[in-house]
Parts: sequence; C-alpha cells; structure tokens
Amino acid sequence: MLCDDCKKKPASISFKEVLPDETIELNLCDECAAKRGLLSPKKLSPLETLQKVLRQRTAQDERVICPRCCMSLAEFKRVGRFGCSDCPATFADHIQYLIKQIHHSDRHIGRRTAPGTKRGLEIYRLREELKNALEKELYEDAARIRDKLRDYGIKDV
Amino acid sequence: MASRMFKNIRWLIPGTGKTLPCGDDSEIVVSSRVRVARNLTTVPFEFKMKQADAEYLIGLVHSIIDGKIAGEFLNLKDLKPLEKESLLECHLVSPGFIKKEKPAGVLIDEGGNLSVMVNEEDHLRYQGIGCGLNLGNLSTLVFGAEEFIGDNLEYAFHDDYGYLTSCPTNIGTGMRASVFMHLPGLVFTGEAEKVLKSALQMGMAVRGIYGEGSEIRGSLFQISNQHTIGFKEEDLLERMTKLARMIIDIEKKARDTILAKARNEFEDKTFRSLAILRSARTISSGELLNLLSAVRFGVGAGIVKDITLETLNEIMIIARPANIQLYFGELLEETERDVKRAEYIRKRLGAG
Repeated sequence: MLCDDCKKKPASISFKEVLPDETIELNLCDECAAKRGLLSPKKLSPLETLQKVLRQRTAQDERVICPRCCMSLAEFKRVGRFGCSDCPATFADHIQYLIKQIHHSDRHIGRRTAPGTKRGLEIYRLREELKNALEKELYEDAARIRDKLRDYGIKDV
Repeated sequence: MASRMFKNIRWLIPGTGKTLPCGDDSEIVVSSRVRVARNLTTVPFEFKMKQADAEYLIGLVHSIIDGKIAGEFLNLKDLKPLEKESLLECHLVSPGFIKKEKPAGVLIDEGGNLSVMVNEEDHLRYQGIGCGLNLGNLSTLVFGAEEFIGDNLEYAFHDDYGYLTSCPTNIGTGMRASVFMHLPGLVFTGEAEKVLKSALQMGMAVRGIYGEGSEIRGSLFQISNQHTIGFKEEDLLERMTKLARMIIDIEKKARDTILAKARNEFEDKTFRSLAILRSARTISSGELLNLLSAVRFGVGAGIVKDITLETLNEIMIIARPANIQLYFGELLEETERDVKRAEYIRKRLGAG
C-alpha cells in the first residue's frame, strides 16, 4: 500500500480517527506522518531527561547542603552526580521528581540484600592496624590484633 | 602467543577455568551482558572521593575477594596503555574506566565471564559477559559475586529508591542488561529500523555498533534497558530475553527469504568474503567487520561448514587494534597492524 499523501513511498503507519459523521483513515509513510505532526516527538533518553530536569535551578540550591560530603544541591545540579550515600535523602524533595521523570517510576521493587555482616570491613581494618603495629614495632598490640583476626577465622595473618 | 613485552595479557587467552557455556542462538546473538552497579555507605561516591578513599576501597575489595573468587586483580596504574585498550576491546572494562585518574582496579575471573570494576563511576561494577543469548546464567554469575562481596560490607540502599548510584540514571536495580545481535537479514530486507523501533517502545535503547549515523558496520546492533527502577530484575531479564527471541525469529525468517530468493548470490558473497579472509595480505578493522558479517551469515545458514562461530567470535576480538599488537607482542603502526591482522586471520582460518 502506498502512502496516501505522497503516493510514492510504501505506507508504514496507519491512523484512524472516528468523528461524529465520518471515520478518517490514513495510511502514511514515516516522512509524511512526520510532516502532519502525527509522530510523537522523539523520546528523551534517561541522560537527556536528567540534564533537562537539572537545568531547573533556583537561588535556594546553594543552601541545601549534604552534611556528610558537603555537596550542595547546586553542585549536584551542575554535575548530575551524588556525592555520597546520604545525598539522595538530603535532596529528597528534588530527587523524587527527578527519578520519576527519568525512569517513569520512583519505587524500587527489585532485590534487597540482607544487611551485610561487614566482616570484610572489620578484617580489612584489623589487617591495616596489624601492619601499622608491626611497622612501629608494637609487638604486644600486634599479637592482640592477630588474635582478633584469628577469631574471624583468618589463620594466615 | 608471543608476549615478550607484555605480561598481563592472560585475559586474551580463553579461560581455562569455569567458562560459561555459550547461550542460545549464538549465530545471531554475538554476546549478552549483565552489569550491576553498587556503592558503599562508608566511602564518598566517585565525585567526592579522595585519593586515599580510592586506595582504601581497592585494598578493601582486594582483601575480600583475595583467593575467594578465582581470578586476577589488575591495578589500573600497573597497566600499559595498550593493555588498558585491550581490556576495553575484550569488553571486560568500560571506556570510562581506563580514563580514570584516581586509583582503580578490576577483577577478572579465571573463566573470563565475570569482571568487577572498582572505582569506576560507582564503587563496584559487576559485569557478566558471555556468547549467545544467556542473560539468566550471566545474572546468576553477577549476583553471586555481588552477594558474596556485599555480605562483607554495606551497600548504599534507600527504601524507596533502591540501590544508590553516582548517577540517577542507574538508581534502583543498578542493572543494565544488553544483547549484542548480528542482524544481516533485517538490514538486507530493510526491516531493521521497524523492528528496532518496537524495541524502543518497550523502553529499550538500540544502537548500531561500529560505524556512525545511518551506516551500520557489520550489521551489529546492541539492545539494552533504558530504565533501572520500577521492576524486578528477573522480570526485566525475561522481557529482554523475549524481545531478543522475537527479533531472532524475524531475523531467521528474513534469512530464509533471502536464501530462497537469492541463494546463489549469497553463497557467492559468503565464499568470496571467506576467500578474502583466507588470502588477503592486509585488512583494516572496518573491512574485517563486513567480511566477518558475511561469513557469519554463511556459518549460520550452514553454507560454510569448516568454521565455527567460536572462531569468528575470537577473530572479532583478537583482530582489534590493541589486541592484535598484544597478540604479536609488538607496537604496530596502523598499516603494520592491517598486515599483521591479515596474517593472524590467515593462520586462524587455516590458510597459507
């Protein structure tokens, strides 16, 4: 079937509009559909949406500051990156709208990991302490730390 | 494999360990990938991170995985520029990763299917990659590592927004799944654009790989999810697998149509391409993609019987600019690379 408008290219999209006294059916090629404005405007990618939303700036932005990493809302809007895991909560009022615009959802329904034991954090900290103690030749401290590491099941300290 | 100059090229050698078997429809799906981003509560995110934070994180992750995940941990600062490029060409790290100035590192498991980038845009980026349509198995691999490391520390998580990421475009699941497809049938019948538009409507991003604008080199396309929040991980993987299967079906029909209409022409194109690969003395990257595309079509259609898809996949990776230099263990100018590339391909395809 050829396009109803240009009668040259094959029609790729059909439109149907039901009016009170008639039904209009149109079969158009992409180009002619675009000319009639019947194609939806190009959807923005998540990144483009992010940039668009972040362009909305106010004078207050400098004053909303994350207490932990010192990132201000203004800085966040400039770089589009969070500074730490507390930022989203600090900028909460602005973030929900932003996330919804980007992803068409603002609710995570996927995986939730059980809180970690933080075992790795502790072992790593002890190992660093052990290294320091040995460097400073504090052998009693070193022995104490080594015992703690053994409690974690680390034999090869 | 010559390696006089470079020690760290073990990732170029196909894994000797538990390499994931190839997934489905590997004549059409070149590879599948699952990537998951995670951050820690205890360290500032990448943008606010100091040198010492970055070093701490590398030491920490290294100490957690040490010996527990069989593989090799590579520190970015120990890698030569060519080795970094090679990791990128092997799809084991991202373009952003090799440009990092702060300390960063990557774990590559011995099978070569799993990599864990430390200090990319997020603290941790787990990635599984494998041939064929295989999102389910890759996600099992990725989440296995994600859980193991996660059990040792604390991921940044928000009750409503899920896993927190540096960039809001990754928030929620932190997951990006992608399928890398070879669609010469759809390109030939002109259906590619229409089919890929339907993927866009399903919230997926589609892009031609290699080549710019409307010119698609080698008929290669990548489909990936645009959104990262508001769905369950397994549902997304299922939706993506279904979409890929639908495209595979249309591609197969297109190939049947082409072969029914112009079998001689396509057999001729396939064998001519193969003949060039087996005898050329110089081949550029661009030319190679188009030749491989024709031969891959032939292998899938059963026209070419003495070459496997694995061989073609391997050539596609090893013949890339940095890899070919590492393979021969020499620094090569572009024209020299084209000569060596042709030499490697002739050898690989069992020609003189």
